[in-house]
Amino acid sequence: MNLWTAFGRDLIEQSPLILGGLRDSLLLTAIISLTGFFLGLVVFYLRHCPVALIRMITRGYISFFVGMPLIVLLFLMYYGLPQWGVRLTPFTVAVIGFTFNVAAYNAAYLTTAYQALDASELEAARAAGFRPFPIFRFITLPQVLRLSVPALTNQVIRNLKDSSVAFLIQFNDFFSRVQELAATNFMFFRSYLFAAIVYLLLVMILVLIARQVERRVMLPGVYTPPENLNPTAN
Amino acid sequence: MALFEIRSLRKQFNDHQVLKGVDLDVMEGEVKVVMGPSGCGKSTLLRCLNRLVEPCAGSIRFRGEEVTGSGVNVRALRQQIGFLFQQFALYRHLTVLDNTTLALRKLKGMKKQDAAERALHELDRLDMAGHAHKHPAHLSGGQKQRVALARALAMDPAVILLDEPTSALDPVMAREVAQLIRKLHSERVTMLCVTHDVEFASAIAERVTFLNQGLVQAEERLCVLQNNHEHPAIREFFMTEKRTP
Ligand SMILES: Nc1ncnc2c1ncn2[C@@H]1O[C@H](COP(=O)(O)OP(=O)(O)O)[C@@H](O)[C@H]1O
Ligand SMILES: [Mg+2]
Repeated sequence: MNLWTAFGRDLIEQSPLILGGLRDSLLLTAIISLTGFFLGLVVFYLRHCPVALIRMITRGYISFFVGMPLIVLLFLMYYGLPQWGVRLTPFTVAVIGFTFNVAAYNAAYLTTAYQALDASELEAARAAGFRPFPIFRFITLPQVLRLSVPALTNQVIRNLKDSSVAFLIQFNDFFSRVQELAATNFMFFRSYLFAAIVYLLLVMILVLIARQVERRVMLPGVYTPPENLNPTAN
Repeated sequence: MALFEIRSLRKQFNDHQVLKGVDLDVMEGEVKVVMGPSGCGKSTLLRCLNRLVEPCAGSIRFRGEEVTGSGVNVRALRQQIGFLFQQFALYRHLTVLDNTTLALRKLKGMKKQDAAERALHELDRLDMAGHAHKHPAHLSGGQKQRVALARALAMDPAVILLDEPTSALDPVMAREVAQLIRKLHSERVTMLCVTHDVEFASAIAERVTFLNQGLVQAEERLCVLQNNHEHPAIREFFMTEKRTP
Protein backbone atom coordinates (compact mmCIF):
# COMPACT_ATOMS: atom_id res chain seq x y z
CA MET A 1 0.00 0.00 0.00
CA ASN A 2 1.10 3.52 -0.79
CA LEU A 3 2.70 4.99 2.31
CA TRP A 4 1.37 8.48 1.58
CA THR A 5 -2.17 7.09 1.46
CA ALA A 6 -1.60 5.39 4.78
CA PHE A 7 -0.26 8.62 6.24
CA GLY A 8 -3.28 10.51 4.92
CA ARG A 9 -5.60 7.98 6.53
CA ASP A 10 -3.86 8.33 9.90
CA LEU A 11 -3.97 12.06 9.58
CA ILE A 12 -7.71 12.06 9.01
CA GLU A 13 -8.19 9.62 11.84
CA GLN A 14 -6.32 11.88 14.24
CA SER A 15 -7.57 15.13 12.76
CA PRO A 16 -9.80 16.04 15.73
CA LEU A 17 -6.75 15.98 18.00
CA ILE A 18 -4.49 17.69 15.46
CA LEU A 19 -7.02 20.42 14.70
CA GLY A 20 -7.58 20.92 18.42
CA GLY A 21 -3.82 21.28 18.85
CA LEU A 22 -3.68 23.75 15.99
CA ARG A 23 -6.48 25.77 17.56
CA ASP A 24 -4.63 25.83 20.90
CA SER A 25 -1.38 26.86 19.21
CA LEU A 26 -3.11 29.72 17.44
CA LEU A 27 -4.93 30.71 20.62
CA LEU A 28 -1.70 30.76 22.62
CA THR A 29 0.00 32.78 19.86
CA ALA A 30 -2.84 35.30 19.74
CA ILE A 31 -2.99 35.72 23.51
CA ILE A 32 0.74 36.13 24.09
CA SER A 33 0.98 38.50 21.14
CA LEU A 34 -1.65 40.75 22.71
CA THR A 35 -0.55 40.49 26.34
CA GLY A 36 3.10 40.78 25.29
CA PHE A 37 2.25 43.87 23.25
CA PHE A 38 0.40 45.65 26.04
CA LEU A 39 2.84 44.72 28.78
CA GLY A 40 5.60 45.80 26.38
CA LEU A 41 3.95 49.23 26.10
CA VAL A 42 3.82 49.56 29.87
CA VAL A 43 7.46 48.51 30.24
CA PHE A 44 8.47 50.96 27.50
CA TYR A 45 6.58 53.77 29.22
CA LEU A 46 8.20 53.03 32.58
CA ARG A 47 11.56 52.75 30.84
CA HIS A 48 11.35 56.54 30.29
CA CYS A 49 9.68 57.43 33.56
CA PRO A 50 11.11 60.45 35.43
CA VAL A 51 11.79 58.33 38.54
CA ALA A 52 15.31 56.93 38.24
CA LEU A 53 14.58 53.86 40.37
CA ILE A 54 11.72 52.77 38.12
CA ARG A 55 13.90 53.28 35.05
CA MET A 56 16.54 51.08 36.62
CA ILE A 57 14.05 48.33 37.47
CA THR A 58 12.58 48.26 33.96
CA ARG A 59 16.04 48.19 32.42
CA GLY A 60 16.77 45.20 34.66
CA TYR A 61 13.48 43.59 33.62
CA ILE A 62 14.32 43.89 29.95
CA SER A 63 17.84 42.50 30.23
CA PHE A 64 16.70 39.69 32.54
CA PHE A 65 13.96 38.38 30.26
CA VAL A 66 15.85 38.99 27.04
CA GLY A 67 18.83 37.16 28.52
CA MET A 68 16.93 34.22 30.03
CA PRO A 69 16.15 31.29 27.69
CA LEU A 70 12.39 30.97 27.52
CA ILE A 71 12.43 27.24 28.13
CA VAL A 72 14.26 27.73 31.44
CA LEU A 73 11.58 30.17 32.53
CA LEU A 74 8.80 27.76 31.54
CA PHE A 75 10.44 24.82 33.35
CA LEU A 76 11.06 26.96 36.41
CA MET A 77 7.37 27.78 36.63
CA TYR A 78 5.96 24.42 35.57
CA TYR A 79 8.30 21.98 37.31
CA GLY A 80 9.88 24.25 39.92
CA LEU A 81 6.94 26.10 41.45
CA PRO A 82 5.00 22.96 42.53
CA GLN A 83 7.81 22.37 45.04
CA TRP A 84 6.62 25.59 46.70
CA GLY A 85 3.02 24.45 46.50
CA VAL A 86 2.14 26.51 43.43
CA ARG A 87 0.60 24.35 40.73
CA LEU A 88 -0.31 26.03 37.45
CA THR A 89 -1.81 24.52 34.30
CA PRO A 90 0.46 24.25 31.26
CA PHE A 91 -1.63 26.89 29.52
CA THR A 92 -1.28 29.36 32.40
CA VAL A 93 2.46 28.79 32.63
CA ALA A 94 2.82 29.27 28.88
CA VAL A 95 0.80 32.50 28.86
CA ILE A 96 2.67 34.00 31.82
CA GLY A 97 6.13 32.88 30.72
CA PHE A 98 5.68 33.99 27.12
CA THR A 99 4.08 37.28 28.11
CA PHE A 100 7.06 38.31 30.26
CA ASN A 101 9.48 37.26 27.56
CA VAL A 102 7.64 38.83 24.62
CA ALA A 103 7.00 42.06 26.53
CA ALA A 104 10.71 42.43 27.22
CA TYR A 105 11.51 42.05 23.53
CA ASN A 106 8.75 44.43 22.45
CA ALA A 107 9.88 47.04 24.99
CA ALA A 108 13.40 46.72 23.62
CA TYR A 109 12.16 47.31 20.04
CA LEU A 110 10.16 50.36 21.13
CA THR A 111 13.15 51.72 23.01
CA THR A 112 15.31 51.38 19.91
CA ALA A 113 12.72 53.28 17.89
CA TYR A 114 12.61 55.95 20.60
CA GLN A 115 16.27 56.74 19.94
CA ALA A 116 15.30 57.61 16.37
CA LEU A 117 12.76 60.25 17.40
CA ASP A 118 13.47 63.90 16.73
CA ALA A 119 14.16 65.48 20.12
CA SER A 120 13.09 68.88 18.82
CA GLU A 121 9.52 67.62 18.29
CA LEU A 122 9.31 66.54 21.91
CA GLU A 123 10.73 69.90 22.96
CA ALA A 124 8.22 71.72 20.76
CA ALA A 125 5.41 69.88 22.54
CA ARG A 126 6.90 70.84 25.89
CA ALA A 127 7.23 74.45 24.74
CA ALA A 128 3.57 74.42 23.70
CA GLY A 129 2.61 73.59 27.28
CA PHE A 130 1.90 69.85 27.09
CA ARG A 131 2.39 67.68 30.16
CA PRO A 132 4.66 64.62 29.96
CA PHE A 133 1.88 62.05 29.57
CA PRO A 134 0.10 63.78 26.66
CA ILE A 135 3.49 64.15 24.97
CA PHE A 136 3.96 60.40 25.34
CA ARG A 137 0.43 59.68 24.20
CA PHE A 138 0.21 62.04 21.21
CA ILE A 139 3.79 62.38 19.96
CA THR A 140 6.09 59.64 21.27
CA LEU A 141 3.81 56.62 21.12
CA PRO A 142 2.31 57.09 17.63
CA GLN A 143 5.76 57.59 16.12
CA VAL A 144 7.49 54.83 18.04
CA LEU A 145 4.73 52.34 17.21
CA ARG A 146 4.87 53.14 13.52
CA LEU A 147 8.65 52.88 13.45
CA SER A 148 8.45 49.51 15.25
CA VAL A 149 5.84 47.84 13.06
CA PRO A 150 8.36 45.57 11.28
CA ALA A 151 9.92 44.45 14.58
CA LEU A 152 6.57 44.03 16.33
CA THR A 153 4.99 41.96 13.55
CA ASN A 154 8.14 39.89 13.33
CA GLN A 155 7.69 39.15 17.01
CA VAL A 156 4.17 37.81 16.34
CA ILE A 157 5.66 35.40 13.81
CA ARG A 158 8.28 34.38 16.35
CA ASN A 159 5.52 33.84 18.89
CA LEU A 160 3.82 31.36 16.57
CA LYS A 161 7.03 29.45 15.99
CA ASP A 162 8.14 29.59 19.62
CA SER A 163 4.75 28.42 20.86
CA SER A 164 5.81 24.95 19.71
CA VAL A 165 8.18 24.65 22.67
CA ALA A 166 5.17 24.72 25.00
CA PHE A 167 4.78 20.97 24.41
CA LEU A 168 7.76 20.54 26.73
CA ILE A 169 5.56 21.60 29.64
CA GLN A 170 2.75 19.23 28.64
CA PHE A 171 0.81 21.81 26.67
CA ASN A 172 -1.10 19.93 23.94
CA ASP A 173 -0.31 22.23 21.04
CA PHE A 174 -0.26 21.41 17.34
CA PHE A 175 3.29 20.15 17.41
CA SER A 176 2.68 17.80 20.34
CA ARG A 177 -0.24 16.25 18.43
CA VAL A 178 1.96 15.72 15.36
CA GLN A 179 4.51 14.01 17.59
CA GLU A 180 1.81 11.67 18.86
CA LEU A 181 0.85 10.92 15.27
CA ALA A 182 4.46 10.08 14.43
CA ALA A 183 4.79 7.90 17.50
CA THR A 184 1.79 5.79 16.53
CA ASN A 185 2.60 5.17 12.88
CA PHE A 186 6.41 5.61 12.95
CA MET A 187 6.24 7.84 9.85
CA PHE A 188 8.52 10.46 11.36
CA PHE A 189 9.63 12.10 8.15
CA ARG A 190 6.12 12.52 6.76
CA SER A 191 4.72 13.72 10.06
CA TYR A 192 7.33 16.38 10.69
CA LEU A 193 7.32 17.45 7.06
CA PHE A 194 3.59 17.94 7.46
CA ALA A 195 4.18 20.06 10.60
CA ALA A 196 6.81 22.11 8.79
CA ILE A 197 4.45 22.85 5.90
CA VAL A 198 1.64 23.91 8.21
CA TYR A 199 3.95 26.28 10.13
CA LEU A 200 5.30 27.72 6.88
CA LEU A 201 1.80 28.38 5.54
CA LEU A 202 0.76 30.10 8.76
CA VAL A 203 3.91 32.23 8.76
CA MET A 204 3.27 33.23 5.15
CA ILE A 205 -0.21 34.41 6.05
CA LEU A 206 1.18 36.44 8.96
CA VAL A 207 3.83 37.98 6.71
CA LEU A 208 1.19 39.08 4.22
CA ILE A 209 -0.88 40.66 6.99
CA ALA A 210 2.22 42.36 8.43
CA ARG A 211 3.02 43.91 5.04
CA GLN A 212 -0.46 45.39 4.83
CA VAL A 213 -0.21 46.84 8.32
CA GLU A 214 3.20 48.30 7.54
CA ARG A 215 1.99 49.93 4.37
CA ARG A 216 -0.96 51.47 6.13
CA VAL A 217 0.77 53.01 9.12
CA MET A 218 4.23 53.86 7.85
CA LEU A 219 5.47 57.34 8.73
CA PRO A 220 5.47 59.60 5.70
CA GLY A 221 9.00 60.55 4.77
CA VAL A 222 10.69 57.85 6.77
CA TYR A 223 11.04 55.30 4.00
CA THR A 224 11.06 57.76 1.10
CA PRO A 225 13.45 60.64 1.70
CA PRO A 226 11.52 63.88 1.16
CA GLU A 227 14.13 65.27 -1.24
CA ASN A 228 13.18 62.54 -3.73
CA LEU A 229 9.60 63.74 -3.71
CA ASN A 230 10.17 67.45 -3.56
CA PRO A 231 13.20 68.87 -5.32
CA THR A 232 12.75 72.24 -3.60
CA ALA A 233 13.08 70.78 -0.10
CA ASN A 234 16.27 71.83 1.57
CA MET B 1 4.34 98.67 27.79
CA ALA B 2 7.04 96.05 28.35
CA LEU B 3 5.91 92.50 27.72
CA PHE B 4 9.15 90.99 28.96
CA GLU B 5 11.43 92.72 31.45
CA ILE B 6 14.59 90.70 31.86
CA ARG B 7 16.98 91.78 34.62
CA SER B 8 20.42 90.38 35.53
CA LEU B 9 19.48 87.00 34.08
CA ARG B 10 22.09 84.37 34.81
CA LYS B 11 22.40 80.80 33.70
CA GLN B 12 25.21 78.33 34.08
CA PHE B 13 25.44 74.68 33.09
CA ASN B 14 27.60 72.97 35.70
CA ASP B 15 30.41 75.49 35.97
CA HIS B 16 30.03 76.86 32.45
CA GLN B 17 28.56 80.37 32.70
CA VAL B 18 26.39 81.02 29.65
CA LEU B 19 24.32 84.06 30.66
CA LYS B 20 26.14 86.45 32.97
CA GLY B 21 23.51 89.03 33.80
CA VAL B 22 21.40 89.84 30.76
CA ASP B 23 19.12 92.90 30.79
CA LEU B 24 16.56 93.14 28.03
CA ASP B 25 13.09 94.57 27.47
CA VAL B 26 10.63 93.43 24.85
CA MET B 27 7.87 95.95 24.21
CA GLU B 28 4.36 95.06 23.21
CA GLY B 29 3.99 95.03 19.42
CA GLU B 30 7.74 95.17 18.88
CA VAL B 31 9.99 92.90 16.80
CA LYS B 32 13.14 92.56 18.86
CA VAL B 33 16.18 91.03 17.24
CA VAL B 34 19.08 89.56 19.21
CA MET B 35 22.27 88.73 17.35
CA GLY B 36 25.52 87.25 18.44
CA PRO B 37 28.14 84.63 17.61
CA SER B 38 27.26 80.99 17.89
CA GLY B 39 27.51 79.71 21.46
CA CYS B 40 26.99 83.13 23.06
CA GLY B 41 23.78 81.98 24.76
CA LYS B 42 21.04 83.11 22.37
CA SER B 43 19.08 79.85 22.52
CA THR B 44 19.59 79.61 26.26
CA LEU B 45 18.18 83.13 26.67
CA LEU B 46 15.03 82.25 24.71
CA ARG B 47 14.62 78.96 26.57
CA CYS B 48 14.78 80.71 29.92
CA LEU B 49 11.80 82.85 28.94
CA ASN B 50 9.43 79.89 28.72
CA ARG B 51 11.31 77.86 31.32
CA LEU B 52 12.52 75.14 28.97
CA VAL B 53 15.74 76.04 30.74
CA GLU B 54 15.73 76.99 34.44
CA PRO B 55 17.49 80.31 35.03
CA CYS B 56 19.96 80.35 37.94
CA ALA B 57 19.45 83.94 39.04
CA GLY B 58 17.89 87.21 37.98
CA SER B 59 14.37 88.16 37.17
CA ILE B 60 12.02 87.77 34.22
CA ARG B 61 8.76 89.67 34.31
CA PHE B 62 6.13 88.71 31.79
CA ARG B 63 3.29 91.28 31.61
CA GLY B 64 4.52 92.59 34.95
CA GLU B 65 4.55 89.24 36.72
CA GLU B 66 7.60 87.33 37.83
CA VAL B 67 7.88 84.02 35.98
CA THR B 68 11.06 82.61 37.54
CA GLY B 69 11.10 80.54 40.69
CA SER B 70 8.63 78.00 42.00
CA GLY B 71 4.93 78.64 42.33
CA VAL B 72 4.63 79.75 38.70
CA ASN B 73 2.25 77.83 36.47
CA VAL B 74 4.84 76.99 33.84
CA ARG B 75 2.45 75.24 31.45
CA ALA B 76 0.01 78.15 31.50
CA LEU B 77 2.95 80.48 30.82
CA ARG B 78 4.10 78.35 27.89
CA GLN B 79 0.65 78.44 26.33
CA GLN B 80 0.96 82.21 26.08
CA ILE B 81 4.38 82.07 24.42
CA GLY B 82 4.79 80.75 20.89
CA PHE B 83 8.13 79.15 20.07
CA LEU B 84 9.70 78.62 16.66
CA PHE B 85 12.63 76.25 16.32
CA GLN B 86 15.37 76.36 13.75
CA GLN B 87 14.60 72.77 12.70
CA PHE B 88 10.84 73.56 12.48
CA ALA B 89 9.97 70.71 14.89
CA LEU B 90 6.70 69.78 13.21
CA TYR B 91 5.20 66.53 14.46
CA ARG B 92 6.05 64.33 11.52
CA HIS B 93 3.28 61.73 12.01
CA LEU B 94 0.59 64.43 11.80
CA THR B 95 -0.73 66.35 8.83
CA VAL B 96 -0.29 70.11 8.62
CA LEU B 97 -3.84 70.56 9.91
CA ASP B 98 -3.38 68.13 12.81
CA ASN B 99 -0.08 69.80 13.71
CA THR B 100 -1.96 73.07 14.00
CA THR B 101 -4.97 71.72 15.90
CA LEU B 102 -3.28 69.39 18.40
CA ALA B 103 -2.64 71.97 21.11
CA LEU B 104 -5.98 73.70 20.45
CA ARG B 105 -7.82 70.45 21.09
CA LYS B 106 -5.74 68.90 23.83
CA LEU B 107 -4.69 72.04 25.72
CA LYS B 108 -7.48 74.52 25.03
CA GLY B 109 -10.12 71.78 24.91
CA MET B 110 -11.59 73.02 21.65
CA LYS B 111 -13.91 70.80 19.62
CA LYS B 112 -12.41 69.19 16.56
CA GLN B 113 -14.54 71.30 14.22
CA ASP B 114 -13.77 74.61 15.95
CA ALA B 115 -10.07 73.81 16.20
CA ALA B 116 -9.93 72.98 12.49
CA GLU B 117 -11.68 76.24 11.66
CA ARG B 118 -9.23 78.27 13.72
CA ALA B 119 -6.26 76.34 12.31
CA LEU B 120 -7.37 76.79 8.71
CA HIS B 121 -7.78 80.50 9.33
CA GLU B 122 -4.16 80.75 10.52
CA LEU B 123 -2.87 78.50 7.73
CA ASP B 124 -4.72 80.61 5.21
CA ARG B 125 -3.15 83.74 6.66
CA LEU B 126 0.25 82.21 5.89
CA ASP B 127 -0.78 80.80 2.51
CA MET B 128 -0.63 77.20 3.68
CA ALA B 129 -4.31 76.23 3.75
CA GLY B 130 -3.89 74.40 0.44
CA HIS B 131 -1.37 72.07 2.09
CA ALA B 132 -3.52 71.26 5.13
CA HIS B 133 -3.65 67.53 4.45
CA LYS B 134 0.02 67.01 3.62
CA HIS B 135 2.57 65.59 6.00
CA PRO B 136 5.64 67.66 6.96
CA ALA B 137 7.93 65.36 4.98
CA HIS B 138 6.25 66.54 1.79
CA LEU B 139 6.84 70.25 2.42
CA SER B 140 9.81 72.47 1.63
CA GLY B 141 11.74 74.06 4.47
CA GLY B 142 10.06 77.43 3.99
CA GLN B 143 6.64 75.81 4.00
CA LYS B 144 7.50 73.91 7.18
CA GLN B 145 8.50 77.12 8.93
CA ARG B 146 5.23 78.74 7.87
CA VAL B 147 3.29 75.81 9.32
CA ALA B 148 5.27 76.11 12.54
CA LEU B 149 4.36 79.80 12.62
CA ALA B 150 0.68 79.03 11.98
CA ARG B 151 0.77 76.41 14.74
CA ALA B 152 2.14 79.01 17.15
CA LEU B 153 -0.26 81.75 16.04
CA ALA B 154 -3.29 79.47 16.40
CA MET B 155 -2.75 79.47 20.16
CA ASP B 156 -3.14 83.25 20.13
CA PRO B 157 0.11 83.85 22.03
CA ALA B 158 1.15 87.13 23.59
CA VAL B 159 4.57 86.83 22.00
CA ILE B 160 6.44 84.53 19.63
CA LEU B 161 10.05 83.55 20.31
CA LEU B 162 12.00 82.61 17.19
CA ASP B 163 15.27 80.68 17.51
CA GLU B 164 17.25 81.16 14.28
CA PRO B 165 14.16 80.61 12.13
CA THR B 166 16.08 80.94 8.85
CA SER B 167 19.31 79.08 9.54
CA ALA B 168 17.98 75.89 7.94
CA LEU B 169 16.56 77.76 4.94
CA ASP B 170 18.07 78.93 1.67
CA PRO B 171 18.21 82.74 1.12
CA VAL B 172 15.05 82.85 -0.99
CA MET B 173 13.02 81.08 1.66
CA ALA B 174 14.64 83.17 4.38
CA ARG B 175 13.40 86.30 2.57
CA GLU B 176 9.91 84.78 2.49
CA VAL B 177 9.97 84.24 6.25
CA ALA B 178 11.22 87.80 6.74
CA GLN B 179 8.29 89.06 4.71
CA LEU B 180 5.86 87.11 6.88
CA ILE B 181 7.40 88.50 10.03
CA ARG B 182 7.02 92.04 8.69
CA LYS B 183 3.40 91.28 7.92
CA LEU B 184 2.78 89.93 11.43
CA HIS B 185 4.59 92.97 12.86
CA SER B 186 2.17 95.23 11.02
CA GLU B 187 -0.61 93.26 12.72
CA ARG B 188 1.04 94.05 16.07
CA VAL B 189 2.27 90.55 16.89
CA THR B 190 5.12 90.81 19.41
CA MET B 191 8.22 88.82 18.48
CA LEU B 192 11.65 88.17 19.94
CA CYS B 193 13.93 86.77 17.29
CA VAL B 194 17.39 85.37 17.74
CA THR B 195 19.53 85.05 14.63
CA HIS B 196 22.96 85.44 13.17
CA ASP B 197 21.69 85.99 9.65
CA VAL B 198 22.50 89.65 8.96
CA GLU B 199 20.34 89.99 5.86
CA PHE B 200 17.38 88.49 7.71
CA ALA B 201 17.94 90.75 10.72
CA SER B 202 18.07 93.86 8.57
CA ALA B 203 14.86 92.80 6.84
CA ILE B 204 12.84 92.55 10.04
CA ALA B 205 14.24 95.21 12.35
CA GLU B 206 16.23 98.43 12.39
CA ARG B 207 17.70 98.10 15.84
CA VAL B 208 19.52 95.00 17.04
CA THR B 209 20.65 93.78 20.44
CA PHE B 210 24.10 92.27 20.33
CA LEU B 211 24.78 89.46 22.78
CA ASN B 212 28.32 88.34 23.39
CA GLN B 213 29.78 86.01 26.01
CA GLY B 214 26.57 86.04 27.99
CA LEU B 215 26.13 89.80 28.16
CA VAL B 216 24.28 92.43 26.15
CA GLN B 217 27.12 94.26 24.51
CA ALA B 218 25.25 96.82 22.46
CA GLU B 219 21.78 97.82 21.46
CA GLU B 220 21.94 99.93 18.33
CA ARG B 221 20.86 100.42 14.76
CA LEU B 222 22.14 97.54 12.64
CA CYS B 223 24.01 99.86 10.27
CA VAL B 224 25.93 101.31 13.22
CA LEU B 225 26.91 97.84 14.43
CA GLN B 226 27.95 96.81 10.95
CA ASN B 227 30.06 99.86 10.26
CA ASN B 228 33.48 99.23 11.81
CA HIS B 229 32.19 99.16 15.38
CA GLU B 230 34.52 100.07 18.25
CA HIS B 231 33.99 96.72 19.96
CA PRO B 232 36.27 94.01 18.51
CA ALA B 233 33.80 91.13 19.02
CA ILE B 234 31.12 93.01 17.09
CA ARG B 235 33.57 93.95 14.32
CA GLU B 236 34.66 90.36 14.02
CA PHE B 237 31.09 89.03 14.01
CA PHE B 238 29.99 91.22 11.11
CA MET B 239 33.18 90.56 9.16
CA THR B 240 32.75 86.78 9.28
CA GLU B 241 29.01 86.97 8.67
CA LYS B 242 29.59 88.95 5.48
CA ARG B 243 31.95 86.35 4.14
CA THR B 244 29.53 83.47 4.67
CA PRO B 245 26.28 84.40 2.99
N1 LIG C 1 21.64 71.74 28.22
C1 LIG C 1 22.91 72.17 28.19
N2 LIG C 1 23.84 71.59 28.97
C2 LIG C 1 25.11 72.03 28.96
N3 LIG C 1 25.56 73.05 28.22
C3 LIG C 1 24.69 73.68 27.41
C4 LIG C 1 23.31 73.27 27.36
N4 LIG C 1 22.66 74.09 26.49
C5 LIG C 1 23.61 74.95 26.02
N5 LIG C 1 24.80 74.71 26.58
C6 LIG C 1 26.04 75.46 26.31
O1 LIG C 1 25.74 76.82 26.48
C7 LIG C 1 26.42 77.62 25.51
C8 LIG C 1 25.43 78.50 24.78
O2 LIG C 1 24.55 77.70 24.04
P1 LIG C 1 23.38 78.32 23.19
O3 LIG C 1 22.49 79.11 24.08
O4 LIG C 1 22.75 77.19 22.46
O5 LIG C 1 24.15 79.27 22.19
P2 LIG C 1 23.65 79.92 20.83
O6 LIG C 1 22.21 79.62 20.65
O7 LIG C 1 23.94 81.39 20.97
O8 LIG C 1 24.50 79.32 19.76
C9 LIG C 1 27.14 76.67 24.59
O9 LIG C 1 28.49 76.65 24.95
C10 LIG C 1 26.52 75.33 24.88
O10 LIG C 1 27.46 74.30 24.77
MG1 LIG D 1 21.22 78.46 19.23
